[in-house]
Amino acid sequence: MVNLIRGLFTAVQRQSLVISLSAFFTSLLLIGLVYIFILIASRGGAYFWPDPLYLVKYQHSNQSYSVFAQIHEQNEEEKIVQLRYSHANNPYGSFLMLEEQSIVSQQQVLDVAEIKLNDGRMIFAAPDFLITPQHARAALDEYSQVVGEVETISSEIERLQQDTLAVIHQSLVELNRKGVEADAPAREKLQQRFRAVLSEIRELETLRDNYQLSIRFADSRTLTLTVAQIAQINLVNQLSLTEKWQVVARNVWGFLSQSPKQANTAGGVFPALFGTVLMVFLMTIIVTPFGVLAAIYLSEYAPDNSFTTVIRISVSNMAGVPSIVYGVFGLGFFVYTLGGNIDTLLFSDHLPAPTMGAPGVFWAALTMAILTLPVVIVATEEGLARVPKGLRSGSFALGATKAETIRKIILPIASPGIMTGVILAIARAAGEVAPLMLVGAVKFAPNLPIDGEFPYLHLDRQFMHLGVLIYDGAFHSQTDAKSASMMFASCLLLLVVVFVLNVTAVILRTRLRKRYLQG
Amino acid sequence: MLKLFQHNTPKIHELEKASSAIDVRELNLWFGDKHVLHDISMRIPKNKVTALIGQSGCGKSTLLGCFNRLNDLYNGCKYKGEIVIGGKNINHAKVNVARLRTRVGMVFQQPNPFPMSIYDNVCYGLKLQGVNIRRHLDDAVESALKEAALWEEVKDRLFESAHLLSGGQQQRLIIARALALKPDILLLDEPTSALDPLTTLFIEELMAELKQRCTIVIVTHNMQQAARVSDYTAFFHQGRLIEYADSDTLFTMPEKKQTEDYITGRYG
Repeated sequence: MVNLIRGLFTAVQRQSLVISLSAFFTSLLLIGLVYIFILIASRGGAYFWPDPLYLVKYQHSNQSYSVFAQIHEQNEEEKIVQLRYSHANNPYGSFLMLEEQSIVSQQQVLDVAEIKLNDGRMIFAAPDFLITPQHARAALDEYSQVVGEVETISSEIERLQQDTLAVIHQSLVELNRKGVEADAPAREKLQQRFRAVLSEIRELETLRDNYQLSIRFADSRTLTLTVAQIAQINLVNQLSLTEKWQVVARNVWGFLSQSPKQANTAGGVFPALFGTVLMVFLMTIIVTPFGVLAAIYLSEYAPDNSFTTVIRISVSNMAGVPSIVYGVFGLGFFVYTLGGNIDTLLFSDHLPAPTMGAPGVFWAALTMAILTLPVVIVATEEGLARVPKGLRSGSFALGATKAETIRKIILPIASPGIMTGVILAIARAAGEVAPLMLVGAVKFAPNLPIDGEFPYLHLDRQFMHLGVLIYDGAFHSQTDAKSASMMFASCLLLLVVVFVLNVTAVILRTRLRKRYLQG
Repeated sequence: MLKLFQHNTPKIHELEKASSAIDVRELNLWFGDKHVLHDISMRIPKNKVTALIGQSGCGKSTLLGCFNRLNDLYNGCKYKGEIVIGGKNINHAKVNVARLRTRVGMVFQQPNPFPMSIYDNVCYGLKLQGVNIRRHLDDAVESALKEAALWEEVKDRLFESAHLLSGGQQQRLIIARALALKPDILLLDEPTSALDPLTTLFIEELMAELKQRCTIVIVTHNMQQAARVSDYTAFFHQGRLIEYADSDTLFTMPEKKQTEDYITGRYG
């Protein structure tokens, strides 16, 4: 950057128009890049920062209101303030635009907390007291102890649901499939147990929901929440700086490890992150051998005639085909034609419900592999062409066949070139959204493509993708696109993912280069 | 220096047929439409050093490439005529070229070590032959490096990259790499033109040693070198064999005027 500016000045001094112009546009590019990064990083980063909460009193159509709110945005010129507030009639936080003169007062109060619920919703209110089965009005100090008790009950419920109820349900489904009659004794017995376990769970739930927290809003009205609902309580105005960073760390971890909630506006992005990385990984596995073998054939074996020229031109043109065209191709050919045929051949007992004949992560990876194939082919061909001729003849002169020479000499030396192609392919694939939406990426997928169930990797499942999440977020509401929202946080994460993938590949390439070029 | 190479060299016409390592019979070669070699017939004697000299583009390197069929790598290369090595015509279509090349080693103008360790470079050819037993490879590497007079310099760093060696060391490594296969014939294509005079001398001495073990054919632009190291010398001009004789005769009493002009430096 410094060199660039210095270069700019020298160029102006020398009055060289070409140099100064090109330096100008280069710096423009750099500034643009830096601005994009700063915007994404600041908006995305702010999503994790605990904003201070205010007690805001305002007038609206001659009535006065008081709410607990975050002050999100202040437009200095038009004197408009955007609030995210909680109110007894609307406890879960919504946005409000106010003219500045209608605000009577705003002040930070200490006892107000940001209460995050398990379903992703948020409440701004002051916690008052706890209600437990033993005490009608317990002090807030006992909160962590109460949470411990609630968690014990919750894990018991979960154990019953997963280990007992699910097994009984499975057996019932099996009986249904076998066509066992409704009044068969085996079935009756199972249903009886099912009902018993269910009522046990209900009892535990009632017990759990007896632990409650009473909260108070700005206008002194109260609301009672069950402790089991609450994910986190942060008394944001009382937090010291280190505690704020702890909250940030907890938020980031939650963002990376949880599933999205509230229609992708809250919670985490773990399934999307996982889906993105898995898709890119599968794509790399598919595209690398295909691209490398095609490049080897083109540059080492194919005769140099007009037909290979046509192939080369087609390969370069493939790189220019709009990505949505690949999406349509993937849907039409891979999903419906290929997948449909696989279904009739292998999974005919599940029809008409499709197995492979529906969009899924494998088809998405395959589509992206086709999309990035030209990049890999071109880069590999360049890498192969750069192998010194002397090494080839040296290998042949020692009695190596062509295949042995390619395997032992040419491929290792061309590997940095191949890695370059793979890097470019990864960068392109991680950023594509449009074709993915046709062949398997969805806004919300109930299951990850990998789980503990045989065959562990479910290539036919739909998956979530960071790009799709961002696209979805941009259409939610204007407030999302303007303020620090999950959309920006996802953008930041996508940038980080692409960056990490690229850096890994670049490091790998440098190591290969060191090993095979400089010796 | 000269003493090393003074042998009792029989005249070329006194050589018996049985003592020739390579017998070239009416060889013609074209690259595309270009007729590069015209009716070459010559016998290269066993366990001697034979030098091929001539101007650039006279076809001497091409002829060298015929002896291990390395010219096959170039598109549009056609040839007619016979080259008999070990009693077989190697230009026959059914010849196993890879196998031929293990019998006929080659060293190039530019040292071209593979981007591997010194050890792996030397056993590259052996591993291709399916030799995998570590002890055999170790022995072969040691003896090849010793034959190429490189062992003392590299024995402590066999597993370092070959690219860390100097130019002269690299060229000797290439020789060792070829020798590891115990070839009958060693082709040297201007092996010292990229090296300094001292290293050149070193490699020339090496050749005198090596001809006990195999036949050496060397292409060189350096007249003094040809005179110093070779027993026989063939002079080529525009794809034709002009004169072929024992080196003493060729360099002292050339029969043809073209040869005399060339070796006295009047052209070329």
